[in-house]
Amino acid sequence: MSWEPIILTLRLAGLTAAILVVVGVPIAYWLTYSRWRWKFLVEAVVALPLVLPPTVLGFYVLVAVSPRSPLGQMYQTLTGHSLAFTFEGLLFASVLYSLPFAVQPFTSAFGAVDPKLVEASWTLGVSRLKTFLRVTLPLSAAGVVTGVVLSFAHTLGEFGVVLMVGGNIPGVTRTVSIDIYDEVQALNYPAAAQTALVLLLFSFVILSVVYALNRRVWAVWPMR
Amino acid sequence: MAHEITADFEKVYDGGPTIRAAFHMPADRPHVTVLFGPSGSGKTTILRCLAGLDRPQAGRISFAGALWFDADEGIMMPPQQRGIGYLFQDYALFPHLTVTQNIGYALASLSAEARATRVNEMITLLKLEGLGERRPSQLAGGQQQRVALARVLAPHPQLLLLDEPLSALDVPTREELRGELRGLLRSQPSPVMCVTHDSLEALTLADEVAVVAGGRIVQVGPPEEVFSRPVDAQVAAIVGVETVVAAKAGERTDGLVALEVGSARLWAIDSAERATNFFVSIRAEDVTVTTGALPSSSARNHLAGRITEVRPAGPVSRVVLECGFTLIALVTRQAAQDLGLRPGALVTATVKASTIHLIPR
Repeated sequence: MSWEPIILTLRLAGLTAAILVVVGVPIAYWLTYSRWRWKFLVEAVVALPLVLPPTVLGFYVLVAVSPRSPLGQMYQTLTGHSLAFTFEGLLFASVLYSLPFAVQPFTSAFGAVDPKLVEASWTLGVSRLKTFLRVTLPLSAAGVVTGVVLSFAHTLGEFGVVLMVGGNIPGVTRTVSIDIYDEVQALNYPAAAQTALVLLLFSFVILSVVYALNRRVWAVWPMR
Repeated sequence: MAHEITADFEKVYDGGPTIRAAFHMPADRPHVTVLFGPSGSGKTTILRCLAGLDRPQAGRISFAGALWFDADEGIMMPPQQRGIGYLFQDYALFPHLTVTQNIGYALASLSAEARATRVNEMITLLKLEGLGERRPSQLAGGQQQRVALARVLAPHPQLLLLDEPLSALDVPTREELRGELRGLLRSQPSPVMCVTHDSLEALTLADEVAVVAGGRIVQVGPPEEVFSRPVDAQVAAIVGVETVVAAKAGERTDGLVALEVGSARLWAIDSAERATNFFVSIRAEDVTVTTGALPSSSARNHLAGRITEVRPAGPVSRVVLECGFTLIALVTRQAAQDLGLRPGALVTATVKASTIHLIPR
């Protein structure tokens, strides 16, 4: 069994979760408080990765990051190398793929904060941004942790998207699930079993910890 | 007017009621205006529009010369800039912060030292010593209310807005805090607008009462006037049919207090506070009207007076007497006929000391 794919996968999942906090919190804030009549369209887009087959998502990302697309071209001019079949390309795909797993618990948590508390803060002269940082965010801590852990765990197990976008480059895009798939294809069952067991135990431990800390983990889209 | 709050605005709810408010009140002294009316009459909406939490569709609000809202010019000053203190009905204390942090919440721009000083002042003022490190969930209702008041007063607001300040409390705590709240509001420098549906609260706190019904302010005046002389049947139904007059305490014996009311004198059961100034409230159904010689009776108060008005209302008649002050009695129409009650008639009104309600001021 090689540790390289496991370390790579942890790095991918960790970075994905970190980026999703930065990207997901503003999206969730907007989804919670916006009164725009077409808001549901954005909600649907954010939730798309829940229903799309990973290969479909992976296909579009592959097209988007190819050197011929505007995004791929922009990336190439900025960094000097292509986005396709790199760790960064894979990270981009992972962020999209796990977006609902972060945004939904965030939105649900923000929406559960009593609006009176937010108004109370405003009448006490505290700006909207500071109110969010001092009232809404601390009171949503459990939901934010849930979103981080779910997106982390979801990235750990992704397969189809990686296969489409990342390919199978050892140390760059060869994640645990690809590694297991390869070992099985090569009829190397003992190696596959070892890696699978590591992933199974790891996922179980993470989810147990989260459930122990917070009973409302599988927070679905808030009913509003 | 430079030192006035003037408001004249209209808030329409989609498929719901329209709230219209037009009033002015002093902005430079601790004057308490009570918005009084039944639930759903629009009182809280008026308060929220003043706070900037709701945006009216039309009209204007200005505070001591500063324009807070103008629909025509598209001006809507956000609540943060209005310098108000808004006390929410259920207090809206921040559950993740301690009492000290809640009280100091609006003081983030002060130095740590200045903040601690101000928080301690508030803790002393509202008798919260020893509770500073508690969280709101570890406090009793009355204590939560004090913390909420402390938090609102700490940043020196230029206008205090109180939404049903006592209604979330159990009855004994409410009794205890009502008088205290009056003292507190008098001792701080800002004008106050307070929403309530409790007449006792209105009479205790108000310098001026504005009766709200059906989304409109229907009568404004000093509390005794609004409660004793409602302008129409609608206001009368809201305030209840009763006599409310100002009184001064005189001699006190045996748990009773003699009250100078107008040119009359009434005996009543003394209040625990032993205050000097009161509003006296007498329910019309507690007043008995007699003609001719007086039978011996346990009632302490017999007032000779002249009837000025008799107005039938269903099976009863509302009788207005002049007996040193204006007193309203409710008698059955049958009794009014049998006794020959009509304007000009000389009668004696009898009121038991125990039915006279004292509201310390």
